Amino acid sequence: MRPDDRDLEDEIRTALELSIRERIERGEDPQSARRAALEEFGSLQSTRDAMHRVWYSRWSEGMMSFFQEMRVGLRSLLRARGLALTVIVTLALGIGANAAIFSVVRSVLLAPLVNRDADRLLYIRQTAPGIGTKNFLFSMPEIRDMKSRATTVSAFGDFSTVDFTLIGFGGEPRVVTAGVVNGSFFEVMGLRPALGRLIDAGDDGPKAAPVAVLTHRYWTTVLHSDPTVVGKVIRLGPGNATVVGVLEPSVPYPAETQVIANVVTSPHHLGATMQEERWHRMTELFGRLAPGATLEGARAELKAVHASMVHAHPESYSPGARVGLEVKTLRDQLASPARTILLLLLAAAAVVFVIACSNVANLILARSVRRESELAVRAALGASRGALRRTLLAESLVLCVAGAALGLVLARPLVAVAARYAARFSVRALEARVDGSVLWLGAGLAMVAAVLLAYVPRLPSFERSNAMNPAVGGVRITPGTNRRLKIFATTQIACSFLLLVGAGMLVATLNAMSTANTGYDMRQVLAVDVPPPAGGAGGEATDRFFQEATRRIGELPGVEGVASGMVVPWRDADWTVLKVQFGFEGYRPANGEDNPACKFRPVSPRFFAVLGVPLAAGRDFTDRDGPDAESVAIVSQSVAQRLFPNGEAVNRHLWFDARSGLEQKPRRIVGVVADADDENVVQVPTMTVYLPWRQLGEPSRLFVRAAGDPYALVPAVTRTLHDISADQAVERPATLEDVRTQVLTPQRLNAFVFSAFGGIALLIAVVGVAGVLAFSVGARTREFGIRLAVGCEPRQLKARVLREGAVIAAAGILVGGLGGIALAWVASRLFGVAQMPGALPIAGAAALLAAAAILASLLPAVRASRVDVIQALRSE
Amino acid sequence: MTRTPADPRLELLQGTLDMLILRTLRWGPQHGHGIGQAIRRQSEELLRVETGSLYPALHRLVKRGWLKSEWGVSEANQRAKFYRLTPSGRAQLIREQDRWSQLVSAIGRIMNPAPANEE
Repeated sequence: MRPDDRDLEDEIRTALELSIRERIERGEDPQSARRAALEEFGSLQSTRDAMHRVWYSRWSEGMMSFFQEMRVGLRSLLRARGLALTVIVTLALGIGANAAIFSVVRSVLLAPLVNRDADRLLYIRQTAPGIGTKNFLFSMPEIRDMKSRATTVSAFGDFSTVDFTLIGFGGEPRVVTAGVVNGSFFEVMGLRPALGRLIDAGDDGPKAAPVAVLTHRYWTTVLHSDPTVVGKVIRLGPGNATVVGVLEPSVPYPAETQVIANVVTSPHHLGATMQEERWHRMTELFGRLAPGATLEGARAELKAVHASMVHAHPESYSPGARVGLEVKTLRDQLASPARTILLLLLAAAAVVFVIACSNVANLILARSVRRESELAVRAALGASRGALRRTLLAESLVLCVAGAALGLVLARPLVAVAARYAARFSVRALEARVDGSVLWLGAGLAMVAAVLLAYVPRLPSFERSNAMNPAVGGVRITPGTNRRLKIFATTQIACSFLLLVGAGMLVATLNAMSTANTGYDMRQVLAVDVPPPAGGAGGEATDRFFQEATRRIGELPGVEGVASGMVVPWRDADWTVLKVQFGFEGYRPANGEDNPACKFRPVSPRFFAVLGVPLAAGRDFTDRDGPDAESVAIVSQSVAQRLFPNGEAVNRHLWFDARSGLEQKPRRIVGVVADADDENVVQVPTMTVYLPWRQLGEPSRLFVRAAGDPYALVPAVTRTLHDISADQAVERPATLEDVRTQVLTPQRLNAFVFSAFGGIALLIAVVGVAGVLAFSVGARTREFGIRLAVGCEPRQLKARVLREGAVIAAAGILVGGLGGIALAWVASRLFGVAQMPGALPIAGAAALLAAAAILASLLPAVRASRVDVIQALRSE
Repeated sequence: MTRTPADPRLELLQGTLDMLILRTLRWGPQHGHGIGQAIRRQSEELLRVETGSLYPALHRLVKRGWLKSEWGVSEANQRAKFYRLTPSGRAQLIREQDRWSQLVSAIGRIMNPAPANEE
């Protein structure tokens, strides 16, 4: 325990008294005893100081007085509560937004993966840029080729997904997405079990026992972390499988799945098509770098292997598709789609911080001008410049620390929101947490802000004697201060302008997307997933099931029509990208061109009527277009117009191109329907070939057209389907409109987040402009008084102040615009893409800011025009 | 304090004050004034510790953990701050004593060389 000054003094005093007493006892008279003792003790003060120095170093001395200053600062801020609160909230918004975005960025772009040696874990992808396919996937023969020839990769893991109906954890049958993997998959991925074991080499091949591993998310959320789950036998699709373990929490890539099973659980994976057909691509490929191999070496080798494979099988790789290979680490693959959007967000958050800081700087500056006389008095009483700065620093530190603390409190819910948002781009965002490093970031930002703010105010000049004139109670504003205030206000407007234009762009895009004509009747059509029955029936049974379901649901009250198909528009994303090449009777591709690639969609009769797609020529499919009848097809208008410009499409024949691997028999075109794009939310001309599913394919989606509210039909539809087959899973009933809304969620969120940033910025900027003008008006009371006294109209004064506001806004918008152009240039250099905003977002943002600025200057303007002349002139 | 050349009192050697304080406290707790008096008495008035160096030295020793201080009441029934040797202070005293005797004998050898070497 350090003794305080009182204790030190006490000690010397008692010692002095002891000494005096001793002398008296020795016979001296009290007075001379006292004098002698005092002489012996010397300077009490310097003794005390020497003792004090033992305990308090110069540094801690400084800290003590700094704490003192902080206490004073806190007290003086409590007197200016409104100002302090504004500053703290403004800073909190700035720091909170940065902390939240930073957490997400760190977890997505910087944090290590749980996978062992993630730097050596490769993600290998086949691409076909020629037909616009980023992920062409692999077929088993292709994977075998790669495996047999690659030396730089020690092991490959393959992964494909299948939807299975799962029975066995209680409750109704559920459709789960299952990953089907080979024996080395988990070894390659470098993952460990959280419980039990994972699938290993012993589970590979067609003779192994069927086993399944649960993903951590499924186990914790659906099964409530039931520890007895290992060893249970469940029904997985057509057969039984034993649950052998639970996977540790890891990034669900390439697909979010509930279970991961070995190959033997999926009859499809064992079938000849999967094993032998080079065109049957549905598998993702991972690899582990062999010891000593580098990423570049592996990339070069795999590309060479791939090229020679393509060369050896020209029938499976059309030159137009430009099939190629990408090799990168899984880590890069996970981060890349999110990088641009996250960096953008980080920039937006930084801009908000700049706005917040400059606004706070303004408020502080205004306050310090009001305090100029106080500072002048302190300077006159001998406070050094350093001491004055320290006072200011102490005050701004109190503000910034409070702001940062509040910001970090805000950060927690903000991180949750931001993580859910960013998870759309990268699953890794779900790992985002608020932790120590975010605290450091907040503290750092607060420090930066505090130091900046302490250096914003001008100190009273030490030479200028009239600065020290405490008699002048009012505020004097110098041109320099005024200029600084305006620069800060302009900065805010400029930054807000940038954010608002960005937000406007996104809102405009979203708006265009959600109102665009899609070619479908959106409101009245209910889409339901009816996956293949648990028994894996197929063929005849499926046919009967859907015939029966269509008939019975069609008889339900309120149902106008029922149809079936394989693709719910936009929702079944993996299907929507698939394109197949067709040959057309009477159409010869130009030299060097391939047969045209079209989407192909197996559908039922009345599909077009139910979904509201008008028939342009010919007829719809009917129940008579069965497996034994003539093979028929319907094409979309784009096909008819592009390939048969003279309108003779109907009754021509088409067939699958040899390279598709499908049956090449000719099919007669019986009808032409309007274009309907089930891939892009904003419709683009789409070449689509429809076939009756009774002739090719197997339906798994049901479409019900309702007279009234489509959702009111859901219970009846579900009941009907269960009546036909008790084990049948019925999933995700939604109107097409809601499907689209869901698909647009990322755009909606983008627009929302940027609008929120823009809104915050606008709010702060309005406060900033209003504050600057209010202050400048308040400081010029005398000037206005004189003007009024010499006959200036109040109206003119009002206009004058409004003009000042407008000038700040205009300057800000101009600077913001120039900054935006510079930014777009940088972005185009960095990312190769620069989307320039349309005129509407720019004009809108400018108008909004100008209006806000003028509104903000209205109050000060009115105050200026109401200055009481006598009062104003007397005030000095 | 100025001193005439005739003043018989001696300047304390640098660094010896701490040792003297520790040594004085070997027989029990004492207050600051008492410590000063004890040094003076035992040195037969040759050493006189100035208040300005005694009290800071006491606090330095407390800070280093060699002494402990607490308020108490003197024999004359007066309030005073008492200092007491801590176990680590006792160890320090032994160390300083050793060092001091080495120093004394070393200096002694230089200043009073053995008679055999003279001539």
